[in-house]
Amino acid sequence: MAHTVLICDDAIFMRTMVGDILQQAGFDVVGEAETGRDAVEKYKQLRPDLVTMDIVMPDMGGIDAVREITSFDPGAKVLMCSAMGQQALVVEAIQAGAKDFVVKPFQPSRVLEAVQRVLG
Amino acid sequence: MALDASRYAELFRSESQDQLQTINRALLTIESARGDASSAATAAAVAEVFRAVHTVKGMSATMGYQAVAEYAHELESLLDRMRGEGAAVTMPVMDALFAAADALEHGIGEASEAAPRTEAMTNALHRLSGAFRAAGGENAVSDAARTGVTPGAAHRASGALHRVSGAVAAEPLVEADSGPTVVDPFDGPGVIIRIRQSATTTLPGVRAFIVTQKLAAIGEVAAVSPPLEQLQAAEAPQGFAVRLVTGADAAAIEAAVRSAGDVDTVHVDMLGRARKRAAGPADEPIAETTSARVRQVKIDLSRLDTMMNLVGELVIARGRLVQLTAGSPDPALDESVTQMAHLVGELQREITASRMVPVGQVFDRFPRMVRDAARGLGKDVRFEVEGRDIELDRSLLDEMAEPLVHLLRNAIDHGLEGPAERTAEGKPAAGTLFLSATRERSAVVIRVQDDGRGINRARVLERARVSGLVDAGVRDLDDADLLRCLAHPGFSTKDSVTGLSGRGVGVDAVVNKVRSLGGSVELHTALGAGSSFTLRLPLTVAIVRALLARAGGEHYALPLTHVRETLEWGPDSVRQVNGTDVLVLRDEVLPLVDLRDVVQLRGVRAANATREIVVVERGERRTGLVVDELLGQDEIVVKQFDAARGEATAAGLFTGATILADGAPALIMDLASLL
Repeated sequence: MAHTVLICDDAIFMRTMVGDILQQAGFDVVGEAETGRDAVEKYKQLRPDLVTMDIVMPDMGGIDAVREITSFDPGAKVLMCSAMGQQALVVEAIQAGAKDFVVKPFQPSRVLEAVQRVLG
Repeated sequence: MALDASRYAELFRSESQDQLQTINRALLTIESARGDASSAATAAAVAEVFRAVHTVKGMSATMGYQAVAEYAHELESLLDRMRGEGAAVTMPVMDALFAAADALEHGIGEASEAAPRTEAMTNALHRLSGAFRAAGGENAVSDAARTGVTPGAAHRASGALHRVSGAVAAEPLVEADSGPTVVDPFDGPGVIIRIRQSATTTLPGVRAFIVTQKLAAIGEVAAVSPPLEQLQAAEAPQGFAVRLVTGADAAAIEAAVRSAGDVDTVHVDMLGRARKRAAGPADEPIAETTSARVRQVKIDLSRLDTMMNLVGELVIARGRLVQLTAGSPDPALDESVTQMAHLVGELQREITASRMVPVGQVFDRFPRMVRDAARGLGKDVRFEVEGRDIELDRSLLDEMAEPLVHLLRNAIDHGLEGPAERTAEGKPAAGTLFLSATRERSAVVIRVQDDGRGINRARVLERARVSGLVDAGVRDLDDADLLRCLAHPGFSTKDSVTGLSGRGVGVDAVVNKVRSLGGSVELHTALGAGSSFTLRLPLTVAIVRALLARAGGEHYALPLTHVRETLEWGPDSVRQVNGTDVLVLRDEVLPLVDLRDVVQLRGVRAANATREIVVVERGERRTGLVVDELLGQDEIVVKQFDAARGEATAAGLFTGATILADGAPALIMDLASLL
């Protein structure tokens, strides 16, 4: 059975792009979230195998969302999506429980490598 | 085994300099806690001075520098009495101690087997005895003075000297390793893992942090080198080492490291330091990035320079070779070129890393200088230093010492007010002088800040008008204009020449020096509140990372030190305001400068031609540089212009030139000059 994914990003463009990369690789995108709060709600509801999480989002940022998600489900597998120059924030996200990260602009091969590491 | 002194002379001098810095630093600690001779900080500092003097004594005795060894011995005896009988730490005592340190430094500089005791040494010991006596340490003085002249001391010292050639020296006088001991984080139980990240790693610092987390899941991470904080701030793929206390086997450890991603090589040393010890000193130590390590590995700088130049040439040759063999039908050739390219990259990283030293090596000289300068002017200055561990290319750091001395002296001389004036202004009587180093992306930022009177804009403006630097109509100078005026050769607002600054080397020398190194200077000042100079420097001078851009048919290198980000030219980012193109970056509107205009390129860009924007920044200032095309990022080897010719031809726009992979030359832009 295909792995299920929840994509969290406030930009439709980014959600679409990540969704396309993952769908083409055989993943089942079961939900999308536009805010951190939305991400936490949808995670509880959908229990996906994988979450991709933007760092900067309105109404609860990605790092706080990771914190809430991992305290709800310590086994949650969250992949951070970072822009250049957010090094310190990514470290914070990993400390908060995220498992790996990719850096924008996304290269499909890089995204899939990171996903494999998170799920592997 | 005979001791070949010449081989060790240089090592002796540099180690002794380290010890002298320790002595000066500790003396400053004692002075700042004066009146409280019993405090723990004072006791620790006294012990530190004692240990350092003792180490110098041991080293100079080993070298056969008898006069220095005996002087150090007597100094040690005096300090020992001071410690034991608690003479009050008065101002004359402090001054005498500093003078004694100076005499020691001078003695070390002049040291040879035949060199007699210098007059400065004799005077220093007398002065110190006298100061102790006056401070009430009566017994101390008589004992110490006696120690100073008895034949016994001299005999003990020379006796020890003779024993040096023997293998064992029981006399404490020649204990070679009795200096302040530095705890080696890799000296301990566990497995030592050396990791190198792949060349393509994104956010290498975070990736390295994940490695430590993966290892923490299978054991206890006992040490990381470079230190974790530095490691996770790294901008470039790096090599690092971890000591892990674990029950896991080598395969499991390697699997854990690799699961973090972007790992090129992993080397697991199950025997750890135990084997290293057995292998002896010829075995390479682990990544020498902690200051403790740097102190132990001394290499002739000219040798490192040569290596750096050679590896620079090699990088250029690699680029050519890769380009010439691209698309070759022979897979074996392709493979060996790829491997060679990788190895050259490794070599370059290692050599660059071996040139990096903590700025503390230069910063640590300043507290003493600041103290003396402040005392000379009757000012009370609290000197704070931050970021001693930040690393910078050795030759760059050496070049920065003089400009920093100048800025600090300027601050003490012109910036900070005397206690009376400060009190009248409602400020604390002691002025604060702050020196810091921080790492920002591909740059190191050094800041010299004071809370003094600030620079008088009106006065500078008046002077600038007189000397024709600004138009008569100019009413006000902003910080950048102010710096431009001050940096004008020979410009000074101080009419009298003091003993400290204002003689020759001015702000212009500082600005020129920093810019010649590919850096930039920024000034902030507010009347009554103080001034700060911010120096932004590349991490290393010889090879820098740069964006390669095209304008017309020419290629230009834009060092990443001042590049914030790049953008596509498009309706999202570029708007028209009053008929001029401006860049809209998030909520900010930035001016646009066209590289074609900057380099005065003839010909007009075709209407449908592509354009890209490089956001250039220096501190708070940003501007968009428009280029025809961005060709990617590369390590470039900087060839500096001849100083004399560079000034005229480059018109301040370029810091040097480089040779690209295809053999074509490219000019390296001084991006800070665009701001």
